[in-house]
Amino acid sequence: MVSNFGLFLTRRAINAVITIILLLALVFALLHILVPSPQAMARIITGNPRASPGALAAIIKANDLDAPVYVQFFRYVSQIFHGDLGTDTIYHVPEIQIMKEYLPITLELVVIGQIIGVLIGLYTGAIAAANRNRAPDYGMKALYLTTWSAPVFLVGFVMQLVVAYWLNLLPATGVVNPTLPPPAAVTGAPLSDALIAGNWVYFWSALQHLILPAFAIAVVGFGLVTRIGRASMIDALDRDYVKLAYMKGLSKGKVVWGTAFRNAMIPIITLVALLFAFSVGGAVIIEDVFAYHGMGYFTVQAIYNDDYPAILAFTVITGIAVILANFVADILYAMADPRVRLT
Amino acid sequence: MSTPDTGETILSAENLAIDYRTVYGTLSALNGVNLSVVKGESVSFVGDSGCRKSTLGLATVRLLPLNASYSGGRLMLDGKNVATMSNREVVSMRGSTAFMIFQDPLNTLNPVKRVDAQMLEAIRSRARHERVSFNEKEAQKEAVGKLEDVRMPDPESIITRYPHQLSGGQIQRVVIAMGLLMRPKLMIADEPTSALDVTVQAQVLKLLRELQREYNMSIIFITHDINVAYNICDRMAVMYAGEVVEYGEAGKVTRNALHPYSQALIKSVPRTTKDQGRLTTISGAPPNMLNPPDGCRFHTRCPYVMDICKLKSPSEVEKDGELVRCFLHGGTTG
Amino acid sequence: MGLSSIFDHMIRRPIRATGQSAVKTGATTTKKREVKEGASFYLEYIRKDKLALTGAIIIGAFMVFALLEGIMQELASVLKQPSLGWRFLPTNPLALTFNLQFEPPSLARFPANILGTNYEGQSILSRILYATPHDATASVIVVGSAILIGMFLGTASGYFGGWIDEIMMRLTDAFLALPALVLAIAVAVLIGGGFTALLYALMIIWWPTYARFFRAQALTLRNKGYVEAAKLNGSSSLKILVRHIIPNSVDPIIAYATLDMGTVILTYAGLAFLGIGVSSGYPEWGAESAAGLQFFPLQWWYSIMPGVVIAVIVIAFTLIGDRLQDLIGGRTTY
Repeated sequence: MVSNFGLFLTRRAINAVITIILLLALVFALLHILVPSPQAMARIITGNPRASPGALAAIIKANDLDAPVYVQFFRYVSQIFHGDLGTDTIYHVPEIQIMKEYLPITLELVVIGQIIGVLIGLYTGAIAAANRNRAPDYGMKALYLTTWSAPVFLVGFVMQLVVAYWLNLLPATGVVNPTLPPPAAVTGAPLSDALIAGNWVYFWSALQHLILPAFAIAVVGFGLVTRIGRASMIDALDRDYVKLAYMKGLSKGKVVWGTAFRNAMIPIITLVALLFAFSVGGAVIIEDVFAYHGMGYFTVQAIYNDDYPAILAFTVITGIAVILANFVADILYAMADPRVRLT
Repeated sequence: MSTPDTGETILSAENLAIDYRTVYGTLSALNGVNLSVVKGESVSFVGDSGCRKSTLGLATVRLLPLNASYSGGRLMLDGKNVATMSNREVVSMRGSTAFMIFQDPLNTLNPVKRVDAQMLEAIRSRARHERVSFNEKEAQKEAVGKLEDVRMPDPESIITRYPHQLSGGQIQRVVIAMGLLMRPKLMIADEPTSALDVTVQAQVLKLLRELQREYNMSIIFITHDINVAYNICDRMAVMYAGEVVEYGEAGKVTRNALHPYSQALIKSVPRTTKDQGRLTTISGAPPNMLNPPDGCRFHTRCPYVMDICKLKSPSEVEKDGELVRCFLHGGTTG
Repeated sequence: MGLSSIFDHMIRRPIRATGQSAVKTGATTTKKREVKEGASFYLEYIRKDKLALTGAIIIGAFMVFALLEGIMQELASVLKQPSLGWRFLPTNPLALTFNLQFEPPSLARFPANILGTNYEGQSILSRILYATPHDATASVIVVGSAILIGMFLGTASGYFGGWIDEIMMRLTDAFLALPALVLAIAVAVLIGGGFTALLYALMIIWWPTYARFFRAQALTLRNKGYVEAAKLNGSSSLKILVRHIIPNSVDPIIAYATLDMGTVILTYAGLAFLGIGVSSGYPEWGAESAAGLQFFPLQWWYSIMPGVVIAVIVIAFTLIGDRLQDLIGGRTTY
């Protein structure tokens, strides 16, 4: 059985790599379709729309921009796999460096936010399903309807307005109190580093700054998790094995949570991976609203500054992150569902 | 039919009616059902799909969907009225008094748990109900023993598997074994063999018969196949459109069916030689139970329909030791 | 009923309404339930649910107004008469009236101040109404194009299989790996500014989900009996696709597409919030919210109100879409 799982893992891993390459192909294709000439491409790289022809020619030569497409693509892929994402036109440092600095912050935000969102969503979905068409179901439905339909920035604004400004409970913007000395950078993410270093003052400040944006991220996905969770749960509750569980004399709680929920949860795993993509997208806006200095915030600045390499680097990194998240989800799915694991 | 002394009767339905609330209105599922099952006997509910025989089974263990209601009469299981039982009573009733097995083997067992884990759940539940201690090792042995009782080859290996690794017949045996572990007085089998091959079907039926004798267990066998019903049960209840139209000893009902529907059912069983001519069918379709037709529910398809059948609904009468619901055999309006 | 009847004769739909109609004569009332087909069935179904009905009314009003306003704005630019653009609005959304600056939402000057005024003293309501044509157009065109593109690519992929299918699957995988917002940003930024450019960007990225949908449908449908029959008849692949596969695939897409129109508006607003695709002077909903950022939290209505309006519109789409999805998924609950 173990080798079966190992085989499964390898297959999935290879799949992930192939998809990453295809992702790069997609980005590459879009790039080359939308930016027709080597000169235009060179302009993007320098970030200077008024660069001299001489400077452009130098760039073209240095980056093989007039070489055949497949050569460029191969170059592009190998660059990416070596960690070269281009150079930032505003800060004039390699993009990868910037990404390394900001990515952990955003990842921490998104992961924590998603965990909150999924947990709450699963719980409300299960409650709604078990109380189908009674008051709790309708209440949940109203809740997820509003949260799902509200644009991301509205969620952020409302939270900021009510909790930070009117109630003064939490800080409105920023990642952490800037006067505090940061802990040693192990992961690059504020809470994690503070946790590892045992720096509780920093941790507490970072936590306070994280809560609102994390909840905003949670809200982004919570609606979908509740909906699908509810549907999945209803489906599971209708199955004969639930009736059989009742027949064994198990209490309603045991049947709903131990049996039905355990089964209903499985498709949620795939959903969570999908949600990760959603949440990263939402993070861009949320980081803007809360001035949370992560990758999304940086990208928003890049948009204002026409910093194309940064935007492209962000796109590629995001895509790779999502594909990896899907890979992890595949593994978790196999662990949860023996039918996938043992065939 | 008068009920024999209550110590012997496991299940008794007295004029039972069950309704479903739907988006289109109230649907009458069961109407005026009268029957009883005594200890150690097996009764089968026979009828086409849509006659609500499963509903009757589910009603016995309070597993009806949320929009169902026990709208009339009584359903007494081991002396207690199922409709008015408290939640606690229901939980303790399930398994120890009545156990139900279902049709589709693919969905009957929890796909994410191993067989032994699921069987141990049953034992644990029974231990709790009987207020005895639960010992995992002994429980494991008992589970294997029960699998042997249901004639399962190689039970030690089966018990470590997941449901999707078992065949349909094996799954049904596991479920039957699970039921036996609960030591129920009444086992309700809802078309347990409909999804199985004919040979496996025969094996499972034989098994059920033997178990019934060994454990002196009552069985309710729900099926659309009158052949199967005849082979397994002592008494047979033929159902149509939510009513019991004929109810009596199995041999009597099949040899000398009184109700036109029962007669049609028996006639429609294909014979073994091709010289018997065309297959007989029953014309028409089951009625829409949101707007049931006036009068007898079968009259639109009945070859012997009389004027009174279109206007009034027949009550049950006793004839030749059976209960029939048909004006052909007398009876006043219901 | 108009357009849908074109499909009716090509579409084999499952029977939705149950049973036949029963006509009672005599003292009881005559009750006949027709079995509705096609678009009229959908409309009737929506009508029955108060929530979905509310949603439909809101969207209807939204679309009609957007159309009207859009025409007026076109006329205004063609006839060089700018005031036509705000003929139907409470106030002039583009005029600078600093004396009315920052008035909180109130009933004053009804209905202009329901949502308050902004930095330039303009009625936020007027500005939002002025921008409706863009959002309505975006939702319709993006989803419409996504359906068309997805229909071609997905159906072909699913029906023919082989390496076409492999490539398509991997391609959509790659697309779906990127969050819509992120990809839209990348594409829009590369294409350049403006509303049309943004539309193109969204159209480029929106189709993969639909391609997947149609592919899944084609996979299921290509094994159906009537497709086999058509093949035996010698119908060309194209004919089979157009007459059988595609019309039968459209059903489940409708519910999703309705929900998706709301999603397009959300994504569009998000992009506008970030400043992408915004032409100066045009009060895009997302951009309005972003503009209010600098006056947050004192003049909170500036940022909040456009978001609220968006939320209302998207809720309306979701209500309708949800109802349709319940119908198609057979999960109608009572």
